[in-house]
Amino acid sequence: MEIKNYNELSSLEIDTLREIGSIGTGTAATALSEMLNQRIRITLPEVRIMGYNEAIDWIGGPEAITAGVLVRISGQMNGIMLSVQPLEFVNLVLNSMLSEEIKDYEDLGEMERSALVEVGNIMISTFINALSDLAGITMEMTIPSLTVDMQGAILTVPMAEYGGQTDYLMTIGGNFVCNDKEVPCHLILSPDVRSLNFLLRKLGVTDV
Amino acid sequence: MKMAQWDGTLITYALGSCIGICLYDPQIKLAALIHIMLPLNMEAGRKNEMKYADTGIRETLKQMTAHGANKARITAKIAGGAKMFEVAGNGALGNIGQRNIESVRMTLRREGIRLLAENVGGSVARTLSFDAATGQGFIKAYGQPDIFL
Repeated sequence: MEIKNYNELSSLEIDTLREIGSIGTGTAATALSEMLNQRIRITLPEVRIMGYNEAIDWIGGPEAITAGVLVRISGQMNGIMLSVQPLEFVNLVLNSMLSEEIKDYEDLGEMERSALVEVGNIMISTFINALSDLAGITMEMTIPSLTVDMQGAILTVPMAEYGGQTDYLMTIGGNFVCNDKEVPCHLILSPDVRSLNFLLRKLGVTDV
Repeated sequence: MKMAQWDGTLITYALGSCIGICLYDPQIKLAALIHIMLPLNMEAGRKNEMKYADTGIRETLKQMTAHGANKARITAKIAGGAKMFEVAGNGALGNIGQRNIESVRMTLRREGIRLLAENVGGSVARTLSFDAATGQGFIKAYGQPDIFL
């Protein structure tokens, strides 16, 4: 059955998406691990379907400042993928790549910003490639873009993009565990509703 | 949409491409703050009119008049409509922030509401508060000086 809204997904469909999240974030963690030369694994990924206010609470309030790397996906699937990077995660990256830490996002220079873009890019593209292999679909990605600002506004980007179709946001994500320390890193894939139907059909979950 | 009369502060957080619209009838100190996400309501069968610039403004004006406001006295101040990410190829919807700004301005003009002040566009998120006692707007943005609107 074609769904019209995210909240119509069946539990089997959600399980399938969770599995995709698991494979995608797992691959992303491996790529990150190699890049930073640290042992990194991923906690059990979660698939969530949330209204705007719920999503804001989930990410930790509207006004907190965070870094976000965004890539737009097109081709057989359309969507937005976001890597939301809280300060703890940023410092993990900067420590491994540049041997430095920052106290505040305002301390980010050119070098640090490009490190964050690169890390976001690696995670997003490995996720997308894993998904693409799994479902046998082709996707193109835009060049990643970094913003440091209030996380409420960053999260609004996928919400506004598909706001004409749905009042819900679908996120697939998880936390990274680095050296036994859990570092929150939200990797969010938000496909549009048509692409979600296409993906589920490709994976053979939805009855035709 | 939130409303307050005589006193109290209305607030909406982290406006990215969204727009916060402050509507005010100074005579009876009735203030309304709308947070719209998209420019035009083209939905069939779904009823979330406050999400859209056109239907959100119209519905709010209706509710304000029901609370005793006179449409001829109502004025507007707006903030938001930023572009959060510089991405090549804007997707199907183009620059949502810019389209929101245009739709809000056009709807206000059509309804005959004077636009007193605006702080729109750019690339930063804004938190907008609105004082019902004075009609004063206040904007906080990351890494920017505070602005009175």
